[in-house]
Amino acid sequence: MDEHQIDSNRLDVLKELANIGLGNAVTSLSQMLGEEKVDMAVPVANTVPLQDVPDFLGGGEVPVAGIYIQSSGDVRLTILFVLSMDSATNLVSSLMPGVDGELDEMAVSALIEVGNILTASYLNAISMMTNLQLMPSPPEIAVDMAGAIITTIMAEAHMIDDEIVLMKTTLNTVDSEVEGNVLILPDYGELEKIFGLLGIS
Amino acid sequence: METVKVKIADLAVLRDRGILITVGLGSCVGIAIYDSSNRVGGLAHILLADSEQFKNKGNNFNQAKFANTAIPVMVKEIEKLGGKPGKSYAKIAGGSQLFDFQKAGISVGEKNIEAVRNTLKQLGIPVKGEDVGGNHGRTMRFFVDSGRVAISTVGKGEKEI
Repeated sequence: MDEHQIDSNRLDVLKELANIGLGNAVTSLSQMLGEEKVDMAVPVANTVPLQDVPDFLGGGEVPVAGIYIQSSGDVRLTILFVLSMDSATNLVSSLMPGVDGELDEMAVSALIEVGNILTASYLNAISMMTNLQLMPSPPEIAVDMAGAIITTIMAEAHMIDDEIVLMKTTLNTVDSEVEGNVLILPDYGELEKIFGLLGIS
Repeated sequence: METVKVKIADLAVLRDRGILITVGLGSCVGIAIYDSSNRVGGLAHILLADSEQFKNKGNNFNQAKFANTAIPVMVKEIEKLGGKPGKSYAKIAGGSQLFDFQKAGISVGEKNIEAVRNTLKQLGIPVKGEDVGGNHGRTMRFFVDSGRVAISTVGKGEKEI
């Protein structure tokens, strides 16, 4: 284990942090989809061996659309919204009826906008509950192998511990068959800061 | 045929036959080193360029994570299987920029490629084939019987280096 030891109490705190923003994010997505019902699984917080992180997204070689946002402000968090190719095209055609098939430029902008709204509502909720100031960066998207996306993000955020702390939840739309995974990863060295700011020793 | 999966920050070596495979290289770089005369090959999947911030830990960290430590470790493993570094060559792939934000300054991918080239040069191992940079992910399959390396991508087909 690396220097960032984490016990189950702390993992519960992180799980709660992920949970707080859920209601907000689900409501936003539902509004974007014309009040379609959206279900969200109870989030999990875990330490995962670095080498196994791609498996968390269903395998390293699976093509996915990954929308990536980083929070700045009090705490640097990496947020990744991952959709299978089917879910990505289903989401686009729900947002823009009549458009389906390819992930062209317009479809990609729509996905980025979803990521933007989801993340903003998510971070807002956490900010309101905890008084942490969290500002989202402009979203970026990549459509590629899941492993390539997640490892690039880990390398950029310098997540070099052998164990990576991550929070994960899955959201499903009831009618339009969209399933997405939301991954939240505290950047290297940010965990202590989170617990410090929340007054958890 | 024996297939050995090399994960992120991982390396493996084989002799005579078998396939070494690593999937989902983004900014990471895959390094295949092969001694064709003895048919010994190794494949590493590095995450970052340099182990500098671990230098006070001695060897007490995963050396396969960084270019400057993974390659020498793999060369030793190749020697243990009867391969000769002096007769070996390398083929490398990865080091791409998947996201636009990476265009500002030198990306992790570029740093990784540079560190891999430097480390190979220091060890006197020539780079015989490469598929690096760009903005897409790659999977690398290294056939140890022949030294053939196949690179596959999403939507851009497969090629050999």
